[in-house]
Amino acid sequence: MGILAAFCVVGAYAYYRQLTHGLVVTGMRDYASWGIYISNFVFFVAISLVGSLITAIFRLADVKWSTPLTRIAEIIAVSAIVFASIIIIVDMGRPERFMNLFIYGRIQSPILWDVIVIGTYFFLSILLLYFPLLPDLKILSQHKNKSNKAFNRLYRFLGSFWKGTAAQFRLSNRAINILCIIIIPVAFCIHTVTSWLFATTYRPGWDSTNFGAYFISGAFLVGAGGVVVAMYVFRSAYRLERYITPMHFDKMGKIVVLLCLLYLYFNVNEYLVPAFKMKKPEAQHLSGLFTGEFALLFWFAILAGMIIPTIMLLFKKGRRPLPMFIAGIMIVVGAWFKRYLIVTPTLLHPFLPMHDVPANYVHYFPTWEEWAIAIGSLAGALLVITFFARIFPVIPIHETILEQHEKNEKL
Amino acid sequence: MKKMKSYKLLIVFSLLLSAAVPGFAQDTEARELLANMSYHVSAGGMPYLVVNTKTKIEKRFVPVPGIAFTVFLDTDSSIISKGITDAAGKATIHFPVALKSAWDASASHTFIMETAAMKDFEQTRSEMSITKAKLLLDTVANADVRTIHVTVLQLNNNEWLPAGNVELKLSVKRMGGELLIGEEETYTTDSTGQATAEFKRLQLPGDPAGNLTLVARVDDHEQFGNLVAESRVPWGVASVLTTGSTERTLWAPRDRAPAWLLFAAGFMVVIVWGVIFFLVVQLIKIRRLGMHS
Repeated sequence: MGILAAFCVVGAYAYYRQLTHGLVVTGMRDYASWGIYISNFVFFVAISLVGSLITAIFRLADVKWSTPLTRIAEIIAVSAIVFASIIIIVDMGRPERFMNLFIYGRIQSPILWDVIVIGTYFFLSILLLYFPLLPDLKILSQHKNKSNKAFNRLYRFLGSFWKGTAAQFRLSNRAINILCIIIIPVAFCIHTVTSWLFATTYRPGWDSTNFGAYFISGAFLVGAGGVVVAMYVFRSAYRLERYITPMHFDKMGKIVVLLCLLYLYFNVNEYLVPAFKMKKPEAQHLSGLFTGEFALLFWFAILAGMIIPTIMLLFKKGRRPLPMFIAGIMIVVGAWFKRYLIVTPTLLHPFLPMHDVPANYVHYFPTWEEWAIAIGSLAGALLVITFFARIFPVIPIHETILEQHEKNEKL
Repeated sequence: MKKMKSYKLLIVFSLLLSAAVPGFAQDTEARELLANMSYHVSAGGMPYLVVNTKTKIEKRFVPVPGIAFTVFLDTDSSIISKGITDAAGKATIHFPVALKSAWDASASHTFIMETAAMKDFEQTRSEMSITKAKLLLDTVANADVRTIHVTVLQLNNNEWLPAGNVELKLSVKRMGGELLIGEEETYTTDSTGQATAEFKRLQLPGDPAGNLTLVARVDDHEQFGNLVAESRVPWGVASVLTTGSTERTLWAPRDRAPAWLLFAAGFMVVIVWGVIFFLVVQLIKIRRLGMHS
């Protein structure tokens, strides 16, 4: 936590410099007006989909083996969506102008849709974290000696009213089911609307009808990758081998393979179709990705983010905990670079050729302030996850006990 | 033998060296400054001069900014103005009121321009003679035919006399430039100094009242310079600019959002937040049940 906090402090200092001197401290200029802040934003929004994937879809499908993963998924979702909101405000440069969005907002703007959907998804994720937590809060309150005073006070504040009566369980289960149903379309909306921030423009690389589904499939993949990484870390850190078993990694591995192939399919659509036509505005952009300035990053994102994990996870040995963890890291890192490749190359290939501009307009490379803020936001999200994991049980206690009882009764 | 060889080498080397020297000398010569003036009379009848300075670099004419010049009227003692050419190598000179009597004294004048010697350019002097002239633009509109009469008059001993054989252009002012009134590029005045043209651009959109601005222009006449005359005529089609400001579109201001979008977005927000509100109510109920049990 100390290391994460240190990154956050450095990021905060870099943000202070940005507030003082303006966005000129970044590498963003007239052409590359979106950089790694927006890449980070899209990345956070994508990874927040994990909540609806693991918690909502698996619950509705009655996938019992996913029970140990639901709390992890919801914690990741909440922290990711919080930092998605924060990084957007950082990218604005003048944070006080955020209120203009509401005072002068136009309902026709995809940006306003994104703000509405992100806010809605945040509240739904909080509720989806909170409702299943209620029985666990009671268990935690009953074992005061296992926690310190501050935590006990927090548990009482959050859940002292939970008595575990049949009526309470009925209301809670119904609420959770409703949440699981409603969060899926909202999650689809959040990623579709985020993709429309790009797709509702004419720019090469963004002017695509494929973007909604492309973003959703990418979000599913990076969310699943994030959960796999978190599974391994929490399993190791909290010695949860009894609850997060190799079976969980095996099953998640199969899901990740499916999601990799699905995302790869959308990538093929996204790049092969315009490459086949090679319209002049698209040609420069695609050449830059395939063989030019961004080729290294592009092929790294494709190989490390999709192809190599797919190959690894096709084999049973590849779906063991450690290889899964490595594959998860590759997916997450590849996904971050993929978001960067969605945002920045298009901006550096405008319709009118760049003419008579300073050298730093032609290329974009983030400054140390941008790196510090981006890494600080990632560290902040990890800090929030760590904080939640310290306070609340990573494995849903009550649901796990219930499942054990059901299993024993069947036997 | 060896000595002969070394002498030959020395001669060849000397020849090469002497050929190279003039090459270096080339670079130290000052470039030629091409400075000229053009005389203009605006649509309001005000005369002015445009000074233009340029030089030739590798077969291309390049404007020369920052050249100081002085323009005289007829003699070196009668200064019209001093100036410095701008970044485009141009400067506009308006006549001072003090020279009015000198200007009115004669029908023909000579403009003398001198540029100062600069770092790369020598001093230059050029002259340009003009005769005062004016353009008169008249229009006649019958049922189907619209005719434009242009008269070019030159001043001669305080008398305005027709100027024949003057080439001019007739056009209509548009937003991005000037549109010729017909198929002919130019018209030439006859011995009476008149040129007549038929206005063929019927159904041309004009301003909201249907007005068009006709422009008659003499360009770079060696005697008269550049002359312009304009006339406003109601020969256009009244056009009202429809911005669609009353329409509800995706690109309209916020109070003109499409109804279907307002309904769809509002419906979705109400439904989802209604559910969130319902869930919060369930939470309150759970809390109350816990308090009572």
